[in-house]
Amino acid sequence: MKQPPSEEPEESLTVTPPKKWAAGVPAVTHALEYSLEETSVLRAGRTLLTMNQVDGIDCPGCAWADPSPGHRHRNEYCENGAKHINDEATTRRITAEFFRRHSVTELGRRSDLWLNQQGRLTEPMVKRPDSDHYEPISWHDALGLLAGELKALDSPDEAVFYTSGRVSNEAAFVLQLFARSFGTNNLPDCSNMCHESSGFALHETLGTGKGTVSLEDLHHADLIFLVGQNPGSNHPRQLSALEHAKGNGARIIAVNPLPEAGLLRFKNPQNVRGVAGHGVRIADRFLHIRSGGDLALFQGLNRLLLEAEDARPGTVLAHDFIRSNTSGFEEFARHVRGIAWEDVLTATGLTRKEIEKVRDEVLRSERVIVCWAMGVTQQRHAVPTIREIVNFLLLRGNLGRAGAGACPVRGHSNVQGDRTMGIWERMPDSFLDALQQEFGFDPPRAHGLDSVNAIRAMHEGRIKVFLGVAGNFVRAAPDSAVTEDAMRRCDLTAHISTKLNRSHTVCGRTALILPTLGRTERDIQATGEQFVTVENSMSEVHTSRGRLEPASSVLLSEVAILCRLARRTLEGRTSIPWDTFESDYGAIRDRISHIVPGLHDFNRRVVRPGGIRLPNPVNEGVYPTPVGKALFTCNAWEMSHAPEGHLLLQTLRSHDQWNTIPYTENDRYRGIHGSRRVVLVNPQDVTRLGLEKGQRVDLVSVWDGGAERRTEGFEVVPYPTTPGCAAAYYPETNVLLPLDSVAEISNQPTAKGIVVRLEPTVMSTV
Amino acid sequence: MHTVEETIDVAVPVSTAYNQWTQFKSFPRFASVVTKVEQLRPNLTHWVIRLGPVRRDFVAEIVEQVPDSHVVWRSMDRTSRHRGEVTFRATAPDRTSITVRLRVEPKGVRGRLAHASGVTRRVLRAELGHFKDFIEGLGQECGTWRGVIRGGHVQPSEPAPPRSRVAHWPVG
Repeated sequence: MKQPPSEEPEESLTVTPPKKWAAGVPAVTHALEYSLEETSVLRAGRTLLTMNQVDGIDCPGCAWADPSPGHRHRNEYCENGAKHINDEATTRRITAEFFRRHSVTELGRRSDLWLNQQGRLTEPMVKRPDSDHYEPISWHDALGLLAGELKALDSPDEAVFYTSGRVSNEAAFVLQLFARSFGTNNLPDCSNMCHESSGFALHETLGTGKGTVSLEDLHHADLIFLVGQNPGSNHPRQLSALEHAKGNGARIIAVNPLPEAGLLRFKNPQNVRGVAGHGVRIADRFLHIRSGGDLALFQGLNRLLLEAEDARPGTVLAHDFIRSNTSGFEEFARHVRGIAWEDVLTATGLTRKEIEKVRDEVLRSERVIVCWAMGVTQQRHAVPTIREIVNFLLLRGNLGRAGAGACPVRGHSNVQGDRTMGIWERMPDSFLDALQQEFGFDPPRAHGLDSVNAIRAMHEGRIKVFLGVAGNFVRAAPDSAVTEDAMRRCDLTAHISTKLNRSHTVCGRTALILPTLGRTERDIQATGEQFVTVENSMSEVHTSRGRLEPASSVLLSEVAILCRLARRTLEGRTSIPWDTFESDYGAIRDRISHIVPGLHDFNRRVVRPGGIRLPNPVNEGVYPTPVGKALFTCNAWEMSHAPEGHLLLQTLRSHDQWNTIPYTENDRYRGIHGSRRVVLVNPQDVTRLGLEKGQRVDLVSVWDGGAERRTEGFEVVPYPTTPGCAAAYYPETNVLLPLDSVAEISNQPTAKGIVVRLEPTVMSTV
Repeated sequence: MHTVEETIDVAVPVSTAYNQWTQFKSFPRFASVVTKVEQLRPNLTHWVIRLGPVRRDFVAEIVEQVPDSHVVWRSMDRTSRHRGEVTFRATAPDRTSITVRLRVEPKGVRGRLAHASGVTRRVLRAELGHFKDFIEGLGQECGTWRGVIRGGHVQPSEPAPPRSRVAHWPVG
């Protein structure tokens, strides 16, 4: 184990050609190297060998599903998961002495990377209004302080309770129960910023907000689309599923502005072909699409399918399925037939021939799956785009059938489960009625605040208390300057965290750090050792049981912190048995089983190997929309437009990064080493804009009303992005994303398609 | 593709024979070569087969299923590709004729040898006999699913079957 760095890394940028394949032996060596820098061989071995095993630790890295019990590898994890879990299992510790040495102001100048490298938080800390340092505080006083602030509010709606997708089902359920019994629906979560658009689009068209496919479907599809996603870095275990599918004869079409290594080729380090051979080609066809062109692509494709049906009636569309299970086909067909090819080609940057070849692939394929991620959901037209993907799937009956369906690929490991548990600012009455019946209080019915609206309310001084459970809200949120200002306007900000991050340094007048157990750690309560449950992206709910000794003996679990806080805040106002919940998580699951449809008999079923597969109504032939059928929709759009001299910027993560936290300054697959302050620009654009490779530029975003946002000193890296489209790292470039720039309907920040210009940096400002 | 067809008469009503057959998870109770069956969804099953030293598992899609009439399925794995159809025909109020038709695409030398030597037919005949003993011995089915599957799509027998009663709200 290496000591935490005392200074920021000082490296300069080197650029190598982008990789054309992902994983392989380097993935194993990088994972082990990072793990052993953070922790001991013994702890690394214990985390890695129990990761994603039945009765082991669920990898907090991503929400990708595990193979069925009996079909898992001994090493059932990826490079990024291994790094992430050992980043949590680190033996580095932050103590009170650390905070005596470093003021909050100084910590506020530190990078995300440096803050994370300092290690695990070990005791509760408070920053008082008249101090620039965190200082130790007892749990009793910390929770008393927070409860006191909450009780003193004029209205419960002056508090916000934010959840990150790492939070277990049990903690999420307790959190929403506390917030609602306190009297507010202000429950923003990280979903608001990642797949909110998917939930809205799928719920509207199919009546269910979740993806419809399982690993078995992916393994047996004929054709798989990967749209706006980077599996090599963000969900690498998906590559194993794609490899399996290719072994069964699947074809894959990748659609993305960047030709990411993981979209091109996969060398599976668990087989000979991956270690010593060339691995497996992932994308048989790569569509180098213009950012935001996905809606136009699927609309063009749908028109081609309708025309193919015209040419050979009865051979292309799933007429029986459309007749029996869908509504709105005629209107949709009229709409799509009216689209202009010129617009489609401009929006996508593709040729008609390329789209026709995709049509031919579709016509040869009986079973089609469309996977997508934030390249789609963070676009302004994200909801209509996903609705158009649903149209595409419906046309040939590719929903509700084996080997076919819709696959939103989620990031955070329990982001789906947290929503199932009721973490949402606008839960339906059926859920609130069930809470009322079970616990005997009147849940508030008025909708609460999502992430964007919470920031707005904090900025306007309408929110006094912010509690974040896991995550790094300040860095995950858009419009960094506005978000930071909003946080600073709160009377009290509190974070339940495992590690230090910028959300602790950009804080309210009073701030609390409430350190908690990580998922890797043993959780022992009054009734004995506990496990928690999570739900992956394919609706499988299963257990996760920590194995390591906790980072500190005084850490409390998330459930314990929330139960104690609820008890102190509500002081007997409800009959909710917080003490019982804290001592026995099974008691929480019992209550969940009474409230959340589909989780009946939760405790008994979840401990079975593999856990519970929550069915998707679509696969049962049921479409719970208002009309009881799947809906075709007509989707209008405006062209993404960057004025002369501007580009469409997308923010993205590096390979060596987990959500907001970079682990190094490198991005191996893209050939970026030693610096994250880079902007990837197509070589044609570099020339067109009069720039040079390696030149330092400021990124300036342009938004309605003329307000400009600027971030300085980025090096220009010529890169094979789609012409007109650029890319730079998140969260550094969140500062460019206006709070008002949101996806229609879902209110999700549009971290893709930001209009920017690149201005040469005036060196004195760097 | 090679086709193998076998028929057997069982002394139970057609609905009993159909209902029991479509309780796929119970196949290991009577079928000597079936080790395990998981029904992932009404139209998707996972089978583990063991025949002597050979163990195969495959995922099968149910393409058609009509109560008291027939079930059509196909394996989805490249390594053990086959299609199958079972039909149920009432020959009397308490008698049913069951016909299974398998179309197999033998893979590899071992697969072709097994098929050429008539193993597939012998196994099929034996397993139908096991089913007959099983359902006649039980006298009644141990469960029912009366939905319909057409073109691989499920048509439930009631508007909101229990498995559709899950959380529907949008997930971000």
